[in-house]
Amino acid sequence: MLPAQFLVVTGIAVHGIYAQDVAAGKRQFAQTCGFCHGPDGRGASGPDLLRSSLVSHDVNGNLIGEVVRNGRPAKGMPAFPLSDAEIKAIADFLHAEAKLAASVTQRNPSEYPLEKLLVGNAEAGKAYFNGAGRCSACHSVIGDLAHIASKYKPFDLQTRIAFPSGADPKVTVTEKSGKQYSGDQVYSDEFLISLRDAQGWVHTWKRSDVKVEVENPLAAHEKLLAAYTDRNIHDLFAYLVTLK
Amino acid sequence: MKLSLIFVLGAIGAYAQGLDPTSLLHPTPDSWPTYNGDYSGKRFSSLRQINRSNVGMLTMAWAFQINIATGIGLKSTPLLVNGTLYFTEPDDVWAVDARTGRQNWHYHYRANEGLHIGQRGLGMYKGRLYFETPDAHLLCLDAKSGEVQWDVLLADVKLGYWATMAPLIIGNHVLAGISGDFNDLHGFIDSFDPETGKLQWRWDALPKPGEPGSETWPANSDAIAHGGGMTWITGTYDPDLNLLYWGTANPNPVLVGNTRPGDNLYTCSIVALDPDTGKLVWYFQVSPHDVHDWDAVQTPVLVDAEFKGEPHKLLLQASRNGYYFVLDRTNGKPLLSVPYEEINWSSGVDSRGRPTSNPEKDPSAAGTLVAPDAIGATNWMAPSFNPETGLLYVDSHRCFGLYYDLSEGRPEGFGGTNLYLWSRSALRAIEYQTGKTRWEHDLGPGHNWASVLSTAGGLVFTGDNHGNMLALDAATGETLWHASGGGAVQGAPITYELDGQQYVLIGSNNVLYSWALPEKLIAESGRGATESK
Repeated sequence: MLPAQFLVVTGIAVHGIYAQDVAAGKRQFAQTCGFCHGPDGRGASGPDLLRSSLVSHDVNGNLIGEVVRNGRPAKGMPAFPLSDAEIKAIADFLHAEAKLAASVTQRNPSEYPLEKLLVGNAEAGKAYFNGAGRCSACHSVIGDLAHIASKYKPFDLQTRIAFPSGADPKVTVTEKSGKQYSGDQVYSDEFLISLRDAQGWVHTWKRSDVKVEVENPLAAHEKLLAAYTDRNIHDLFAYLVTLK
Repeated sequence: MKLSLIFVLGAIGAYAQGLDPTSLLHPTPDSWPTYNGDYSGKRFSSLRQINRSNVGMLTMAWAFQINIATGIGLKSTPLLVNGTLYFTEPDDVWAVDARTGRQNWHYHYRANEGLHIGQRGLGMYKGRLYFETPDAHLLCLDAKSGEVQWDVLLADVKLGYWATMAPLIIGNHVLAGISGDFNDLHGFIDSFDPETGKLQWRWDALPKPGEPGSETWPANSDAIAHGGGMTWITGTYDPDLNLLYWGTANPNPVLVGNTRPGDNLYTCSIVALDPDTGKLVWYFQVSPHDVHDWDAVQTPVLVDAEFKGEPHKLLLQASRNGYYFVLDRTNGKPLLSVPYEEINWSSGVDSRGRPTSNPEKDPSAAGTLVAPDAIGATNWMAPSFNPETGLLYVDSHRCFGLYYDLSEGRPEGFGGTNLYLWSRSALRAIEYQTGKTRWEHDLGPGHNWASVLSTAGGLVFTGDNHGNMLALDAATGETLWHASGGGAVQGAPITYELDGQQYVLIGSNNVLYSWALPEKLIAESGRGATESK
């Protein structure tokens, strides 16, 4: 529903909040409330508190505390004589849990456990690497990919197998005089081209004034996106993750 | 002297009349009185003073800078009524003179905690404007001054709702949709009395247990009450059929469907409602049981044209899931369902014209490669239909994402995530009867966010992913004019003619640019000459 850049910002904010120590509140909640509301607050015989209007309007336990201390006898909820600090800890936990649920990035995938990603077959991955995938046309497991699994976290390794971003195209521009410039592409649209030369200076031309040649180092990976099966990606991952 | 007299008369006219709601049935070229310019959603203008032969000579008429610290970039479609433009940011409304770019007034909303993700414009009724706020209020403003007339609550921001859309005015109804899918909420469309702000009706995007559609949700679960279906883009309207068309958003929890088995009506659907009662007349679901965040809010474009040799009342949608749909808008019957962009999650459609989803392309714990990604083959940006070329112009994304199901236990809100791998954008000119791409114009790497305008001058106006404002040949896609506005083009171009001068407005980041032909050129050639193609 939303643009990516916004979600990233939201995710950071959420993790910042959740990174605060809510463990005490989680324990307190599980002990006092978990039996009816579920250990994560998502409801059991009692209602889901992450979707509760009262909880969403609570600030530091000001509304939650009243319910906890007085109970809701009509609905079968007993009163719990908790301290201010305990109420606040519970409130902090519920607010953090609600924010986490509403976070698009959820648990930071970079910390994602290897076991969940390891569903492929390393032998099949090796065969694909040297065969149908044509990976070995550009890469070598004893060259550029040596020890690759030690350089990246498992999640990042998998996403780089799917598509490795960050390599700038190489551009050669030939002016009408015949003078040539080469370097990393800095900018390119329908009308303009910019490159950074070997000395580090950026040059920009109108495309209509010059001849432009672009070499995209990721062209083979762009083709792979349409050719990859999920099995290919998981097999390749299972193979490359052995390159410690 | 003569000029100032015209201004005075114009001002008196606005004071006396405002916008008669019946004039929305036949908008004149000196106005852009509703989000899409008219009820049909075509975003097509009959103006042709600016045309293929002279668009290269466009020059800046004026520019309006939004001088607020909180600006997130112009995403709104300006309204133009009686020579005054009205446009927005999440907390701000401006009234600006359409000939000169001078500010008449500026309204700033109170500080609030709603999500400031976008603001797409206003609705207008007589002398009043309707504005949805980030914290999900609907405001009625005096169009002369920006003063608040009334303020009603649409939904509770604390629960996770927000609002961005431009209300639609039909007769004496102010129709307001709602946003918010970070939390498991329910979508709706509200109809308000334009004078008093009193609620006339509410249509709930999720049925109540026992109602038709509820069988597409699990029984003995509260999933149906929290199943999403937001209504965050302005719908369209057929006055002859008296039907309101609206696209609904994705189901919740997002990206994971195990707690909501079933089709999950009326999420990811195109619905037809009676605007006087809010009653559902028909629906067509474009993504049954969505698990990829592909809502169906994209403008349902209404076209009266031949289909397979027979005259039809058609509804066209290029949807976020990559499919192009043609419906008979009298009854919702699907006439065509075909991909317009590269997809890998569906291999065809079922007997009801609905795409069939390959379950192997659902998000998984180990990651699933899916085209398109969660931003989608297109998103909220408005397309344009040119009846003279028969082409639907769509901001289209070829894109791939890795979808992960991260849920442990019971998922709520977002149960997973999508990692964006690669994307590239193009403006696609889609033949309305076949869904085939006649031409595509590359708009650069990434997801483009510009809406589209087409004109009888044989032109298509939009922006590329680098911030270039573009005029393309409607028949071929060739670039005929461009200018860099210095920032992302995330809004919607509009056009209008005042005092014999045609203007094209394009927002670029925090600046609204107004383009026109040189006055000297118009004076020399006369209106007749510039009108001919």
